Amino acid sequence: MLFGEEGQEQLQDATIFIAGAGGLGSPVSIYLAVLGVGTLIIADNDRVDQTNLNRQILYRDQDIGRRKAAVAGERLQEVNPDIMVKAVDATIDQHTVSSLTRDADGIVDALDDFPTRYLLNKAALEKEIPLFHGGISGFFGQATTILPGKTPCLRCIIPRPPPAEVFPVAGVTAGFIGLIQATEVCKYLLCRGDLLAGRLLLWDGMQGRIEEIPVETDPDCEACAGKYKGRS
Amino acid sequence: MKVTVRFFARFGELLGNNREIEAREGISVADLVKEAASGNKAGYDTIFDEEGAFRDFVIVMRNKKRIRTQDAGSIQVGEGDEIAVFPPVAGG
Ligand SMILES: [Zn+2]
Repeated sequence: MLFGEEGQEQLQDATIFIAGAGGLGSPVSIYLAVLGVGTLIIADNDRVDQTNLNRQILYRDQDIGRRKAAVAGERLQEVNPDIMVKAVDATIDQHTVSSLTRDADGIVDALDDFPTRYLLNKAALEKEIPLFHGGISGFFGQATTILPGKTPCLRCIIPRPPPAEVFPVAGVTAGFIGLIQATEVCKYLLCRGDLLAGRLLLWDGMQGRIEEIPVETDPDCEACAGKYKGRS
Repeated sequence: MKVTVRFFARFGELLGNNREIEAREGISVADLVKEAASGNKAGYDTIFDEEGAFRDFVIVMRNKKRIRTQDAGSIQVGEGDEIAVFPPVAGG
């Protein structure tokens, strides 16, 4: 076993909340399931559409029209019957975010809009659990790991929401960024390696280049200013 | 003086990823980026609004350090500087 018995137990004891079962949520959830993360909670409020199938690899042609949460739950349980999968058919909003994240040891951001991402960011700050951020468009993507109290929060890094994407996402980009997020979750749960903490990774698939830029806490941040004064 | 302007992701597709520019002394970061983007209207319009201000989601770095886009008009570019401009993306 790559992680030893102790590592596998650490994974088995963990609960990870995956927000969204789309392009990023598909690879993240599949890989965390095969990794053996003991409890996966995955939430989505959508139905499987034919246009999803080029990147949302949880779903197949025969699933078109079904609720994503239901299909994702079945598929992840097939992939690893030894873990607990809770697939929730719910909209993530200010009313549901705290109950969805209640038992989580970490939150994976697999969403496609920033207003909801900011809710996850707030929940992560309040619960002091990590937020594994990813965002994609076309052949481009970004990822970072937010550790409340130790790194800038998502709102420090991206204070204003970029416009909703009008460009379709390439399936390979979802896979690439999703696996970076899953790798971060794995390292975090095993306390190994260097997390993408305080660093924003930028992927340009067209150029075949990865860059990273350092990020800083914004003293005027709408989400975290004042919260961690004197702590970090 | 020689400076480099780097455009990332969609900005790079429209404007070219790496631009070596012979800039005039005293030019501000905002004016430098405007000049670098001026050759392509679609590229310019994705970075700047109708008033010529940076769109609020655009991230600008000078020598790997983030600068507030509101301040970019008053920050002068120095010899050898690298200015990076990139759009965070929202899809998932
Ligand atoms: Zn913040």
